[in-house]
Amino acid sequence: MQTINPDSQRPTLRVENLTHRVSLETDTLTILKGVSLEINRGESVAIVGRSGSGKTTLLGLLAGLDTPTEGTVELDGSVISGLSEDERARLRAHRVGFVFQSFQLLPALTALENVMLPLELASMDAPEMRARELLERVGLGERLAHTPRQLSGGEQQRVAIARAFASNPAILFADEPTGNLDNRTGQDISDLLMALNQEQGTTLVMVTHDEQLAARCARQFHIEAGELTEPVTRRELTD
Amino acid sequence: MTAAKKLMSVRRDWRERDVRVVLAALIIAVATVATIALFASQLQRTLVSSASSFLAADRQLEAEDGRPVPEPWIAEAVKRGLETGRMVEFSTMVLGNDAFQLVSVKAVSNEYPLRGELEIQGDSEGSREQIKHGPARGEIWINPRLLKLLKIGLGDTLEVGNRNLTVSGLLLREPDGGFSLAALAPRVMMHADDVASTGVVQEGSRVEYVYLFAGKEAALDDYYKWLQPQLGPSQEWKGVRDGETLSRSLDRSESFLLLGGSLAVLLAAVAVAVASRQYALSQRDTVALLKTLGLGSAGIGQLYLKRLALWGVTGMVGGFVVALPLFWLLTLLLGEALGRPVAFQLDSSALTPALLTAVVSLFAFAYPPIRRLKNVPAMRVLRSQPGETGREAWPDMLIALVAVFGLIWLYAGELSLVVSLLGGLALLLALLAFLGWILVAMLRKVRGGGHAWRLALVGLYRHRRASLSQIAVFAMTLMLATTLILVRTSLLDDWQAQLPDDAPNHFLINIAPDAVDDVAGFWKERGQPLDQLYPMVRGRLTELNGQPVKEVVSKDQRVGALNRELNLTWMDSLPADNAIVDGRWFEAGQKDGVSVEAELAGKLGLALGDKLTFTIGSDKVTEAVTSIRTVQWDSMKPNFYMAFPPAGGLTDMPATWITSFYLPRDRKNALNEFSRRFPTVSVLEIDNIIERIQEIVRQVTQAIEAILVLILAAALVVMAAVVSATLQDRQREGALLRTLGGRQSLLVRSTVLEFALLGGFAGVLGVAAAEVAVWALQFRMFEGAFSWHWQVVLPIPVISALILALFGRWQLSPVLSVSPMLLLRRLE
Ligand SMILES: Nc1ncnc2c1ncn2[C@@H]1O[C@H](COP(=O)(O)OP(=O)(O)O)[C@@H](O)[C@H]1O
Ligand SMILES: [Mg+2]
Repeated sequence: MQTINPDSQRPTLRVENLTHRVSLETDTLTILKGVSLEINRGESVAIVGRSGSGKTTLLGLLAGLDTPTEGTVELDGSVISGLSEDERARLRAHRVGFVFQSFQLLPALTALENVMLPLELASMDAPEMRARELLERVGLGERLAHTPRQLSGGEQQRVAIARAFASNPAILFADEPTGNLDNRTGQDISDLLMALNQEQGTTLVMVTHDEQLAARCARQFHIEAGELTEPVTRRELTD
Repeated sequence: MTAAKKLMSVRRDWRERDVRVVLAALIIAVATVATIALFASQLQRTLVSSASSFLAADRQLEAEDGRPVPEPWIAEAVKRGLETGRMVEFSTMVLGNDAFQLVSVKAVSNEYPLRGELEIQGDSEGSREQIKHGPARGEIWINPRLLKLLKIGLGDTLEVGNRNLTVSGLLLREPDGGFSLAALAPRVMMHADDVASTGVVQEGSRVEYVYLFAGKEAALDDYYKWLQPQLGPSQEWKGVRDGETLSRSLDRSESFLLLGGSLAVLLAAVAVAVASRQYALSQRDTVALLKTLGLGSAGIGQLYLKRLALWGVTGMVGGFVVALPLFWLLTLLLGEALGRPVAFQLDSSALTPALLTAVVSLFAFAYPPIRRLKNVPAMRVLRSQPGETGREAWPDMLIALVAVFGLIWLYAGELSLVVSLLGGLALLLALLAFLGWILVAMLRKVRGGGHAWRLALVGLYRHRRASLSQIAVFAMTLMLATTLILVRTSLLDDWQAQLPDDAPNHFLINIAPDAVDDVAGFWKERGQPLDQLYPMVRGRLTELNGQPVKEVVSKDQRVGALNRELNLTWMDSLPADNAIVDGRWFEAGQKDGVSVEAELAGKLGLALGDKLTFTIGSDKVTEAVTSIRTVQWDSMKPNFYMAFPPAGGLTDMPATWITSFYLPRDRKNALNEFSRRFPTVSVLEIDNIIERIQEIVRQVTQAIEAILVLILAAALVVMAAVVSATLQDRQREGALLRTLGGRQSLLVRSTVLEFALLGGFAGVLGVAAAEVAVWALQFRMFEGAFSWHWQVVLPIPVISALILALFGRWQLSPVLSVSPMLLLRRLE
């Protein structure tokens, strides 16, 4: 299903002058101020910053879960800030995967069904086979019929990762994927995430305040009080 | 099954607490309405058919002029597909074994009865049978009292005029034996084709020809339209709807059942609304995730609409599954009450209100909060969004209110009833907001008591919004239930007062003026004193203010009183159960004027001072209307449309006297002696009819009890819905308390106490509100006087505290009995 963009020079995600404000009861709060960035196909990028600096808000805008007050977000060539909510949903179904801090599995469904769900929503073929394959891959081949409540936090996040990669997304967004896990488990999860990302050639945009995890990404954006400071790449650092 | 389907499957839904509440509420609403509607239509059918059987047909045509009606009239009825039958009624002396007796003969054709059944006893052993035909030619059936009077037995012959007939049965009950005051002497029944050979009936002798008709209502009405212009003054068309007593009881019971039903539906509606809101709140995370995974808002809307449709189907099917056995049971009881099997008949049109209830409940109460689900921002997966402010819910409330109003109006059909019901609720809720606030403030100040007590108070205060709404809802429930209990009790009393056990069950008619004292003495000696005796003069109302009444009073033939001779009377004091609505009752010594019954006055458009002219035999009497009074037609006492003052307009008119009295079944033999001593006095036995009406009243009471059970069920569903709203908080608090070392028994005791307090307060408030509501209802609907009902009302707060304590223990058992570890995990 994945369509390869012939023009590899063109960035997968381009953000221009993104500003986001929310109106509170008395005044308006500016959460993001003039954020511009470009992320290329297959790249892995970390967004780091202190709690409350606006990371989650930015991620939500990049993924088209919300629309910015000003500025544009261009994902795979379409300006998602100009799309209707349903058009954005359709785009997400086929192109975008998510991993969340709080896992967000549906408690009523088994591990297998949780992974099948996005495949079905995107009307893909043989959802069950693909879901089994992925759960095997994340090491939960024995736990297919278990519901989230019967799984530990780390196991739940594995299911979530399997779900995120299920529909073969072009781009994967992760919000503090290890935030709710202990160090060891967090380490395992980030290994898995990076490995799968490598295998599938997915573009990865990850929000984290875990410096170690951020360091494993090709590039890092620092955000402070809603403003982007200069992006630094690992390559630049090592060179 | 695919994951998406499973996510939306009913089986999965059923595990969702709120969905169970919604479904249970829907089922109760549908079941209530269906049961009532089915039963009401069954009752209607049964009563109309039993009323029809009072005529032995759907309609009768009576010719009082001693001549048969023209043959073509009957031929026309047959041509129109009506069933017909014929009866000849007359009085004559018959000869038994050396004894003469005046009897009232009813000679019937083969078709008799078209409706209803006869009860006879074919052999002296005494086994009763119910049959649908009269005696064969050459045979005669007689009232059992005649056995002694005529000194004969079954199989003997009886001489009727020139003819000998064989006594082949004892006539115990004839369907059309009851309500007409024209009945005479002990009854015998023979075949109509034998009448001629007796030679008793000749041109001009006192004989009544009665024709029976049965068929479809429309055909009967059409036939009457054809027949009406040809009817002479002595020919009268009679239908069952004139059978006042039964149709009145029926109307009352129906509106009463529906009132009860509205309460159950109202409660169910509250439960549906609360639970579906709760459900919608719990679905927000799922919706946000589905959106994130790429499902559009249209898709989400569809998903939940499908689910709603499934709920609707489940509610309807479940409701009918509950309603049918209930209806079957009630029908069985009805049959028992009437002493004969009632055909169990499902009237499919009676299901319409139930279906409408389900649809309205779904779309007006369940749908609004669920509809807003598709607006849940996808961003919610990343960060919990500001919740609903409650402002969005305002239109929901409006929709729900309009829907409730519409539904109850649909059931009760009376605007004033809906207004007083909903008005009572609004009043109650306003009062509750106020009193609840005082309660919460007061409780905060209470010090001392055990740990459990303090925890209960803290709990009440911490969930004060939930506590307030729980008190409100349960108080409302109790108010509704109490109202129903009270109204039911007072309604029953009302009925009982009208038909006490010793209600008159026999009429004595045709008492000659000089026999009045002897007749009264006869019954006084036997310990069965007569009620008030009234003189009775037969006459027609012929002119109104000097003009022929038939011209003045348009063509409205429903004024049946104009088509027949009226029973006129004179009396000096107003009977206790009559009431003057206009004008004044006759003063002592007053000799002019006439008092008219209110309904007839209304139909004729009479006002005080109008001059009425009556034709009595060859005389004419004209008097002005001086008062208009209401009459209790179902009192089983002689009632009169027209009453004159003593020595007034009826002076010197030929009068006989009429009275009613109570005679227990085991003393009916006294009637034999009475008939021998006063052969010309007619005895009208209506004890069977009275028994039947009393049974119907009892039956309706049973139906009301069934509805009460449904109401209580609905109330508990409401409570379950409200408990849901606090469940998560309580789980968290319970887990915390236990983690901090609180014992499980402490948690249980404090929870039970908290709910008992809720119940107690709700009880007090509910009962107070009920008294107000009952007052309003009695005032508006039943025209009764208000009185307090302490005996009923006092135990209710206690019972309510008890019920809620148990209910809280049950509903919160997942919170109370689970280990704190598991609780914490589950909340994660
Ligand atoms: N809808 C909103 N209403 C009010 N404040 C918001 C809203 N969304 C975000 N914020 C505020 O904006 C700031 C940035 O939030 P967030 O993007 O979640 O930061 P981060 O993920 O970096 O911790 C926080 O102070 C947060 O409280
Ligand atoms: Mg964040």
